[in-house]
Amino acid sequence: MMRYRLEKRPEPSKLMLYGTPVAAVVLTMILGCLLFSAIGYNGLRAVQEIFLTPLTNPYKWQDLGIKAAPLIIIGTGLSVAYRANVWNIGAEGQYIIGALAATGVALMTWGMSGWWILPLMAIAGMAAGMAYASVPAFLKTRLNVNEILTSLMLTYASVQLIYYLIRGPWKDPMGIGFPQSRLFSEAARLPNIIPGTIVHLGVPIAVIVALIAWFVMSKTVFGYRMRVVGAAPHAARYGGFSETKTIWLAMLVSGGLAGLAGMLEVAGPFQRMVPGFPTNYGFTAIIVAFLGRLNPLGVIVAGVVLAITFVGGQVAQTTIGLPDEATGIFQAMMLFLLLAGDILVRYRIRRVSPEASVGAA
Amino acid sequence: MDLTIAILVTVVGASTPILIAALGELVVERSGVLNLGVEGMMLLGAIAGFVVQFHTGNHYLALICGAAAGMAASLIFGFLTLSLSANQTATGLALTIFGTGFSALAGASYSARPVTLMSPIFPELAAHPVLRVIFGYSFPAYFAIFMVFAIWFFLKRTRAGLILRAVGENDLSAHSIGYSVIKVRYFAVMFGGAMAGIAGACFPLTLTPQWAEGMTAGRGWIAVALVVFASWRPFRLLGGAYLFGLVMTMELYAKAGGGPLSAIPSELWAALPYIATIAVLVLISLRRDASTNAPACLGKPFMPSN
Repeated sequence: MMRYRLEKRPEPSKLMLYGTPVAAVVLTMILGCLLFSAIGYNGLRAVQEIFLTPLTNPYKWQDLGIKAAPLIIIGTGLSVAYRANVWNIGAEGQYIIGALAATGVALMTWGMSGWWILPLMAIAGMAAGMAYASVPAFLKTRLNVNEILTSLMLTYASVQLIYYLIRGPWKDPMGIGFPQSRLFSEAARLPNIIPGTIVHLGVPIAVIVALIAWFVMSKTVFGYRMRVVGAAPHAARYGGFSETKTIWLAMLVSGGLAGLAGMLEVAGPFQRMVPGFPTNYGFTAIIVAFLGRLNPLGVIVAGVVLAITFVGGQVAQTTIGLPDEATGIFQAMMLFLLLAGDILVRYRIRRVSPEASVGAA
Repeated sequence: MDLTIAILVTVVGASTPILIAALGELVVERSGVLNLGVEGMMLLGAIAGFVVQFHTGNHYLALICGAAAGMAASLIFGFLTLSLSANQTATGLALTIFGTGFSALAGASYSARPVTLMSPIFPELAAHPVLRVIFGYSFPAYFAIFMVFAIWFFLKRTRAGLILRAVGENDLSAHSIGYSVIKVRYFAVMFGGAMAGIAGACFPLTLTPQWAEGMTAGRGWIAVALVVFASWRPFRLLGGAYLFGLVMTMELYAKAGGGPLSAIPSELWAALPYIATIAVLVLISLRRDASTNAPACLGKPFMPSN
């Protein structure tokens, strides 16, 4: 009888590093089909609608673009942070606070016009995202408080801040009692870049952000620093890279980008602050960052893949009555399978005969 | 007096699920594994408990099925992190995302359907105006306190507990003297999953008698934070959980008591447990022995073949 054994590779396999995300997506389709068939849906149709219809139906492409944009922007920031082993999982909170700051600017300048309003909103959004991320950064670097817990707790708190603001100070006077802010003035709404579609300026910005991040991460000292600190903290310390500074940079970059995504989302698709603004992009972007192998170029692809599941999930909801929540299950399965596949990057499976395995032990 | 008693009773009720989940996570972390999927496992336990109670009317069966759901979910985590040595942080997050999605899907057709809450196990004493502080609770509250003692005893006084701690403190030594690190960690992870499942089931069975999407509202994460706060000691967990129960229910008394506190917006009260968690983590980090009690192998994958 043959047995299998894991054997450490001398070097991580490049093929597996980039092959496993693809395999994870394909396996998700197969397992998802089985799972949804098992619980009484048409599994094949579900997979077809979720993964293929958004690609084959050109009307859905614009939806893909606007869903992918925030995922790519946040995912890019997270990929930088996770590279450095800084676990910012409160991107959702930084995204919300960024959107709130942008809303604040939009409401203060309400009724005004001018080209400067949108850039000001973007700056406010990024600054607010950075400020919110600096709380876990400060606590981590000064007091060694776990950044996972603090950044996440701040996310829950930020949701309450939305509720407070739109029920109280920012409540729309014309809203007939609805808890929501005013509709932004023209100058505070993102322009559409393709007439007749819903594709807004955030889409090209997302691609540009990821490309810049790719360049910075692979070609500059900053990128080198983040990668070294994450991969070999001891060597990094020896080489003179301060860990404190790296944590700060990782948090500020990921928080700032999440804040920018929040600004683009509130000024683009929403055009006002509503209670339903938090749509978990900040959490989904964690999957995007991993699926993209913490590489900004990979994040672009992964952002589109996750956007496909969002758009496809909506399609499947209307065509075959698959509940919206199914999307989250597909997304989590993808991450599970990807993490499971990680072992193949560092190890290879060797077939050994029983005698040989005894000899080796 | 009446108000004080009412406060204490609500505090114990609100603290119980957090305490149960945190006790499970404490054992998991003592074995050297960091499972950040508590929130997801709790939601799976909550929906399993709800569905079983809704269809059978049996609260105890509902708790058991909640435990089973949490344990099943923890096995996914265990397989990925222990058998395939996947990144524990990422896998825990994935488990939370999965649990949130799966429970929402399973519960979609159950929203706004009521179940009945568990009744106190000492009905006569529970009606007593004073004694209900001690006897006024349903089964989970006593189970939680019993488990504090049981886990303390297990970790401190039993051989199995010693092995579990050894695996968490120094996995290589434990391995070299012949203990199966992976097996011990599997048991710990499964126990943690069962406890998280029971904790989740407490939400529809003891707090709000219905299913609501994401009804655990971050309590699983607070449980993870409490383990740090308690510096991995069961009795400190007991105190910490009740302290949090107080914070979480404070709004009720502020509103009931009138005065300046009742002017505080309800959103701030709702945010308070999360802010308090951060405050507590900060306070604990200021202590000199802050992280000295953390299991040395916490979060590190174990690969004996390296």
